[in-house]
Amino acid sequence: MSDTIQELTEEQKLKKKIDFKIITFSLGGKEYAIDIMKIKEILKESKFTMVPNTAPFVRGVHNLRGEIIPIIDLRKMFHVPIMDPNKREEDVLILKLEDITLGVIVDQIDRVVGIAKEEIKPPHPLFSDINVKYISGVVESDSKLYIILDVDRIFGKEEVLASTYDREERIEYKAPEKEIKVKTDEEDIEFKFVAETLVTFKSFYVTDLNYEWTKRRFEEWKNLRTSAGEKVQLENASDAENFLRPFYSPYTGMLWGNDYKENLQKILPERYQGIINVWNLGCGKGYESYSIAAILRDRYKNNMIKVWANDKDLLNISTAPNLVVSKDQIPSFMLDNGFVEEVDSGRYRFKREIKDLITFEYHDVLNRNDYPKQDIIVARDILSFQKPDKQEWLIDQFKTMLNEGGIVILGLNETLPAKEWYKLQEGNVIAYKVEKY
Amino acid sequence: MRVEYINPFVEAAFNILKEVLGTELTRGELYLKSSSQPVLGVTAIIGLTGDVEGRVLFDMTEETALAIASAMNGEQMTKLDDLTKATITELANMITAQAVTKLSELGFKFDITPPAIFTGKKMEVSDVSVEALIVPIEMPLGKLEINVAVREKN
Repeated sequence: MSDTIQELTEEQKLKKKIDFKIITFSLGGKEYAIDIMKIKEILKESKFTMVPNTAPFVRGVHNLRGEIIPIIDLRKMFHVPIMDPNKREEDVLILKLEDITLGVIVDQIDRVVGIAKEEIKPPHPLFSDINVKYISGVVESDSKLYIILDVDRIFGKEEVLASTYDREERIEYKAPEKEIKVKTDEEDIEFKFVAETLVTFKSFYVTDLNYEWTKRRFEEWKNLRTSAGEKVQLENASDAENFLRPFYSPYTGMLWGNDYKENLQKILPERYQGIINVWNLGCGKGYESYSIAAILRDRYKNNMIKVWANDKDLLNISTAPNLVVSKDQIPSFMLDNGFVEEVDSGRYRFKREIKDLITFEYHDVLNRNDYPKQDIIVARDILSFQKPDKQEWLIDQFKTMLNEGGIVILGLNETLPAKEWYKLQEGNVIAYKVEKY
Repeated sequence: MRVEYINPFVEAAFNILKEVLGTELTRGELYLKSSSQPVLGVTAIIGLTGDVEGRVLFDMTEETALAIASAMNGEQMTKLDDLTKATITELANMITAQAVTKLSELGFKFDITPPAIFTGKKMEVSDVSVEALIVPIEMPLGKLEINVAVREKN
């Protein structure tokens, strides 16, 4: 698939006094260039093997004729917008640096430009979105200004990034076991027991995601049970269910009410460009998916909306496309908008215009998630029921799958780490945005 | 995999197998798989294109293949010869074609590629980039596993 660099250079050979060649490309709508001597080859590629728990700008690894090389998304790395997020094949420059070969994804590779070394001007801090220390100079050619990136600097040994590529570390990497913070007194042992039984009975995993809630609930539970003369420990599945009852978010297993809709609409942006993509994990019978589709349609009349809804429970998801609800379960905004139609006396289903916005899939999110970039991810009370390493893996996926400004709607009692995520709360709706760094 | 796709494949498999083999069959629990998996010995493959991209695998042991081919041809087959292979491919073709017909009635446009058959020992199929739906079918003649992996073209 790789073009040879020679082919590209034909047209440039005529130019006079050329002692330096650069390959030009665009990033976030601006023109950049890299010294051709640093580039091994270029290729177009659509599939990279994802590596969990890496920085968000690491797209994965690629097998370049037997050599495994890391693939970096330069746009992510420099926080410039991705011009065409739905592009099937990415333009990749394979860089050969002193101690590493790696691929970088750019928006569009343009061509080879020959220049004279003395044409290169020192960088000016105002030129680019990219930190000036990563720029070796700027050059003008055919009345276009190219910013030449210093790839040795960007990917060099000294940089923090280097550790991300350390192959040994990657192979030996194990997902960190999230230990429940152990203290020595008796209460904490009791708490630990409860946390363990939650795993056994409900496969609910206590991690940073829900630690705060579980701890709070444990205190409450303990008082409740001791005053009733019962044991604090969860002895069977129904105890565990009772313990978890307040955990579930508002409107679990039913259509989202008007208050939830109002709150969510306060969090959503003023407008979207083009298609609004939504990923709804663990959609069950589809109540969430229909709710979010209806709320978005109510708010954004002219956008295309695409909801990717999936669940690994075949029985539940099979009923989702033909969900029927009774009238008293339908919030008034859906009735007022005419989103539903009567099937028979008092029983309603969603009209085509809403149903067609949703694709229901029998899918396990722990397998590969092959979706386009998302604007909204709905994952209410889903993560807490995944193993700790899977929780982290999914959260990491969210980060790479979100469009700029995209949000994750989590369960009311779930928290993402504040140093990476920015919390948006409006009443009973909790959402998170990726924190810029 | 899109929910609407599941039933047509399960139904088509049942209809056709019942019709051509005239035996009892039971369906095992459907499940999803995305890792590589061993192949039993005789595998027919048919590609799907159109609204989606993917493929259907019909996987069985050599004994099952011979039993099915014998039942379909009305004579005892003893080795995996051209006729046996052609019979298995035809079975795969019939099932997939009926599923695709059902899907097109539902408004989904699928096309199928000509079937191919693989035989051999210690084979493995891996397509980690697509999640596969496994439909296990138990018959007195043996076990048949239908493995459907499709994804939407976005």
